[in-house]
Amino acid sequence: MNQLMKRKSRGDIWFDIFNYVLLSIVMLLVLFPLYFVLIASFSDPNYIYSGEVWLFPKGFTLDGYERIFNDSSIWIGYANSILYATLGTIIGVAVTVFAAYPLARKDLVGKSAIMWFLMVTMFFSGGLIPTYLLIKDLHMLNTIWALVIPGAGGVFNVIIVRTFFQSSIPDEMWEAASIDGCSNTRFFWSIVLPLSKSILAVMVLYHVVGFWNGFFDALIYLNDESKYPLQLVLRNILVQNQVNSGMMIDVESYAAKMRVTELIKYGVIIVSSLPLLMLYPFLQKYFVKGVMIGSIKG
Amino acid sequence: MNSLFKSAGIVVLAGAFVLSGCSGNGNSGKGSNNQANSSVQDANFNKTGLPIVNDPVTIKMVSPKAALAPVFSEMEIFKRLEKETNVKIKWENIPDTDYAEKKNLLIASEDLPDAFYAAGFTDYELINYGKDGTIIPLEDLIDQYAPNLKALLERRPDIKSSITAPDGHIYGLPSWEDNNLGTNPFFHVINKSWLDKLGLKVPQTLDEYTEALLAFKTQDPNGNGKQDEIPLSFMHMQWCMDIAGIFGAFGLPDNLEHRVVRDGKVIFTANQPEYKEALKYFNEKWYKQGLIDPESFTQDAAQYLAKGKTKDETLGSYIWWEIEEVVGTERSKDYVLLSPLKGPNGDQTIGRANGGGPGRAAFVITKEDKNPEITMRWIDQQYEPYMAAQIHWGPLDVVFKKDENGKLVNLPLPEGTSAGEFRQKVAPGSGGPGVITFEDFGKVVDMEPRAQQRAKDLEQYYNAYMEKENYPSIFFEPEELDKINKIEPELIKFVNTQRGKFIVDGNVDEQWDSYVKTLEKMGLNELMEIYQTGLDRYNANLKQ
Repeated sequence: MNQLMKRKSRGDIWFDIFNYVLLSIVMLLVLFPLYFVLIASFSDPNYIYSGEVWLFPKGFTLDGYERIFNDSSIWIGYANSILYATLGTIIGVAVTVFAAYPLARKDLVGKSAIMWFLMVTMFFSGGLIPTYLLIKDLHMLNTIWALVIPGAGGVFNVIIVRTFFQSSIPDEMWEAASIDGCSNTRFFWSIVLPLSKSILAVMVLYHVVGFWNGFFDALIYLNDESKYPLQLVLRNILVQNQVNSGMMIDVESYAAKMRVTELIKYGVIIVSSLPLLMLYPFLQKYFVKGVMIGSIKG
Repeated sequence: MNSLFKSAGIVVLAGAFVLSGCSGNGNSGKGSNNQANSSVQDANFNKTGLPIVNDPVTIKMVSPKAALAPVFSEMEIFKRLEKETNVKIKWENIPDTDYAEKKNLLIASEDLPDAFYAAGFTDYELINYGKDGTIIPLEDLIDQYAPNLKALLERRPDIKSSITAPDGHIYGLPSWEDNNLGTNPFFHVINKSWLDKLGLKVPQTLDEYTEALLAFKTQDPNGNGKQDEIPLSFMHMQWCMDIAGIFGAFGLPDNLEHRVVRDGKVIFTANQPEYKEALKYFNEKWYKQGLIDPESFTQDAAQYLAKGKTKDETLGSYIWWEIEEVVGTERSKDYVLLSPLKGPNGDQTIGRANGGGPGRAAFVITKEDKNPEITMRWIDQQYEPYMAAQIHWGPLDVVFKKDENGKLVNLPLPEGTSAGEFRQKVAPGSGGPGVITFEDFGKVVDMEPRAQQRAKDLEQYYNAYMEKENYPSIFFEPEELDKINKIEPELIKFVNTQRGKFIVDGNVDEQWDSYVKTLEKMGLNELMEIYQTGLDRYNANLKQ
């Protein structure tokens, strides 16, 4: 240990110090906005806007959270979001993987035609109104299926997963397995999937984040408030207090509304991102691996 | 092989017969059903009196709702209406922020309800959807089935003329609280306790006002030893927080549209000499001396409101809808309203806000509606003045009670809610159908206390100096709207940016000519012509 220390030259030490300082600053830059949102959610909005809040909450108040949690729809929204994210992720990841694996195999007949067909959908979509009509004709309006089915199996994800399979599951492996009498199905379940945990984790994270943050589909396809996902509920709580200056007469609560909006704005961010912040560390190690692996094996 | 094809053919044919048979049956069944329906309906429908139908009929309606509001079917007021009329409404409520988007989607995909409630269609939409038959003309229905509305339109030709489309049809029903509270949105406030402290009197002229601002800045009126006073703060070109009113000291008040009317002539303010003088004054006397809060050009309402509530009092003068909201009730006694200031040439005037007519699209009926007469009778209930007041503010026994004269008076609010919040929860609110006319206030329903205070303030400080005319809310032809939409947004954006620049950077004299030329290039003259034509048409209609 001592020897190691001695071997470090003066320059090395300065270099280390410089590195630590720089990285600490970068870390602070990244962390501070998060921290600020947290303390701002406990502070009186007037202090926030006069710039007096920066290290500790000032004018401590729980009004924002009280309002957010008093709204019973928020719990319904939470439950809905968890349901949509779970179901949507299962369907989405399954479709993606099932589509990607055959496309990664050299012996699939008509591979390029299928790929071409899929690629077209990346560049041309039906547009909002035809899609809406399709969902309506499928009788999926105002059901959970309108949220989890149409988005399942994004082509972009299929390509990522296919590339992963191509680069990390060599053909020789299939040859060896099939000589030993392994069927395609068995090979997929017993060999390919266990070797692909990292890309599966990436896909899970992509889908969960997508479903968790998505509100537009719900906005378009759902009418029933009891089916709203969390993001839409929060959006409604937030905009309920936003002021429309077009309404000349109904001005009386302008300031009251502004205050409440400011109060709950930060609380809403915390409430809605907490689950993902908690989920992320568990998936993060796979995430790095899954994304890196393509570049290493190239 | 041959026989195989043959038998296949027979199967297909047989299948076709079965199918056509089925569909034939289905059709005839449907037809007779329809007939049965309509004959039942005739017996079911009452032309006058309540209930409107003997057996419940369901009508599908789409409506925006405030996010605080419950689904309309849960609202007390609509439950009562359903009980009285036997008309069951199947509501599809869309949060008001997403309404425009979803409404367009529903119409574009022909997924139409029977009616849109609190519909908020633009003039453009009213005319175009009226033309292509998506929504139906209502004047005959009003004539036959809407006694309340009919009486209102006969009593008030101005309301009728403003909801009648240029093609002569009425596509949307009116919504209005006829109370004149918005005539001058810019209430100009000054810190009286600072004036007293510094030995100044309440400014009457623009120069006295400037002196006062300068004293605020330099003489530390809040006594904390720091120069943290903000002499004047406002929000550039924002609804009730702009300095547009102060332009009146130079003879021609400005407004957010930069459009005023004098003797029936439309004037664009932002290229007039008075406007130029005002800009020069604001730059030289105010901005250069640091009397204007530089954030006035960028801040949003939250920041602005926070400035009135700092620990030490820092706000000297500001503009807002009322005193209390900016500085809070405690501090509001330090502040007073300013009447329009007398300008360097003795001008003293304040603008009158444009528009201010009834909303035209509180209710539209679509072509899908099989029972337009039932729908019309249902909606007409809400044009009875007492009902209109309840639709706008909330139901009897919840928000109002009737006093001995039969007038609706406010019940105390539930603990911990503001009037605005409560209103959202119990009623469709100000965008909903129903008209509360000027005569109804005081007779049918009281204004809210704050509205009464505002009416008093307007009377005391502003009405005497107010411009006589404004630009009314006019129903334009689609081609005119096209042109307006093409020219105006860019033009106004340019004018507003320049206004900010002139006040901050000065150089008004040097750049004025090129500024005016740019406006002309952008189509100012054409735009003003359209507005003039619209106004002439409106005035001609009124005289008829």
